Amino acid sequence: MKQLFVTPNRCTACRNCEVACSFVHTSDPTVLAFPRVRAYAISENTNTVNLCLQCDDAACKKSCPVEALVWNAKTGALEVDLGRCIRCLMCTIACPFGNIHFDKRTNEIAKCDLCQGDPACAKFCPTLALEYAEKPSPDPKPGEVKPLPPIPWMLFTGKQSR
Amino acid sequence: MQLTIDKRSVVARKGEYLLEVAQRNGIEIPALCHHPAVEPWGGCRLCMVEITHPDWKGWTGLVTACLYPVQDGLIVSTDTKKVHQVRAGVLDLLLARCPGSSLIQNLARQYGIEETSFTPRKAPDLCILCGLCIRICEKIGASAISSIGRGVEKLVSVPYETVATAACVGCLSCANICPTGAIAFSESEHCRTIWSRNFELVRCEECKAVIGTPEQLEHFARRSGLDRSYFTKCDSCRNREAAARFVRVTF
Repeated sequence: MKQLFVTPNRCTACRNCEVACSFVHTSDPTVLAFPRVRAYAISENTNTVNLCLQCDDAACKKSCPVEALVWNAKTGALEVDLGRCIRCLMCTIACPFGNIHFDKRTNEIAKCDLCQGDPACAKFCPTLALEYAEKPSPDPKPGEVKPLPPIPWMLFTGKQSR
Repeated sequence: MQLTIDKRSVVARKGEYLLEVAQRNGIEIPALCHHPAVEPWGGCRLCMVEITHPDWKGWTGLVTACLYPVQDGLIVSTDTKKVHQVRAGVLDLLLARCPGSSLIQNLARQYGIEETSFTPRKAPDLCILCGLCIRICEKIGASAISSIGRGVEKLVSVPYETVATAACVGCLSCANICPTGAIAFSESEHCRTIWSRNFELVRCEECKAVIGTPEQLEHFARRSGLDRSYFTKCDSCRNREAAARFVRVTF
C-alpha cells in the first residue's frame, strides 16, 4: 500500500503543502479550508511538516461519541463522516499531535483523508519532503543533481507553468 | 434487496430505513428531526412518503421515511399530491408554533404556505420539539435535558425548568445540533452560560484559545478512556509542539 512519507531534512517550510491542502479541501472557492497539513520552521536549519499519522488506535476515534470517524479500507485513512459528526470538537481536543482541527469558516472538522488516495500536499512538495509512494526516495549523493518532479500548477492556475 | 424510489431502482441492505437509502441515492426528502448520529425518531413527520407494493393489490400507505424499514420490491413516491398535502399540513402547524423561524418559513414557502392558517402561538420561541437536543445529550452520556410537560405546554428544558444540574457538562452539543437555533448560550472571557448555568472555561496553556469546560473535558476523558492530561492545550499549539518533537526524533 502507498504511504505518505515525511523526510524533514528536505523540508524548506515553504508551505506549498498547506496551500495545496486548503485548495483541494474547499468546496467554496471564496473560502479557503483549514489546512490538514502544517509546515513549521523549528529552528534555523530544521523544518518539518506535521500531518495526521492515521493511528491504528486513534485517540480521535476513541473520543468520538457518535462513531463519526471511519476507516477507509482503500486508502487506509481515518475519515470524518461529516453527516454523522455533531461538532462536539472532542476529537480536536483528544489528538495528542493536534492533527485534527475545527474549521470555523466551513463549520467542518478538518482532518487528513489522504485526498482519497491522491494527496495534493505530496504532489505540490517541491523538494520531496512529502512523498506518496511505496517507500521514500533515497537522498541524492553529494554533488548529484536530481531533477525534481514537475508540480501540477495547472490545477490552480489553469496554465502548465507558473 | 431492490426497491423503487421515484421510479428509480435502488439497492438497499436489510435493516436500513427508507430515508437513509433515499439520501444515499441523492433523492431529497425534507426532515427536521433526523440526524445520522442518533436513532431515528419520527417526530417531525416531515419525511412522509407514499408507499405501495406489487402484492398490495393497489393499496398505498403514508409513512415516515426515517422509520420505515426497507422491503424488497417496495415502490416509494416522494412527490405525490397526497405527500405534498401531508407535508404542507405539518408545516402549517409548525409555522403556527414557530412563526419566527426562518428555516420553517422557507420550508413552508416551498409547500405554498406564506402564512399559517392556524392561530399563531402567543409568545413563540424557536423550538419545534424535534427532540434532537435531547437525543444527542443522551448519546453523549449526559442526559441533562428532557421534554417537560404535555400537550401545548410541552417544552425542552432541564429538570424543574431551573438551572442545569451537575449532569450538564456545558459542551454546547444541544445548541449546535438544533435545526432552528432555539437553544441560547453565551460565552464571555471566563464564562460560558447555557441552560442558565455558568461554566468556567479551560483555555489553552499557551495561546489561551478556548478548549472547553472542565466538566466537559472530565466527562469526555472518562468516556473515551483517554488521559486527562491530553486536554491542556489547543490543537494548533499541540501540533506545533508535536512537530518539534518529531524533528528531534528524526535528526
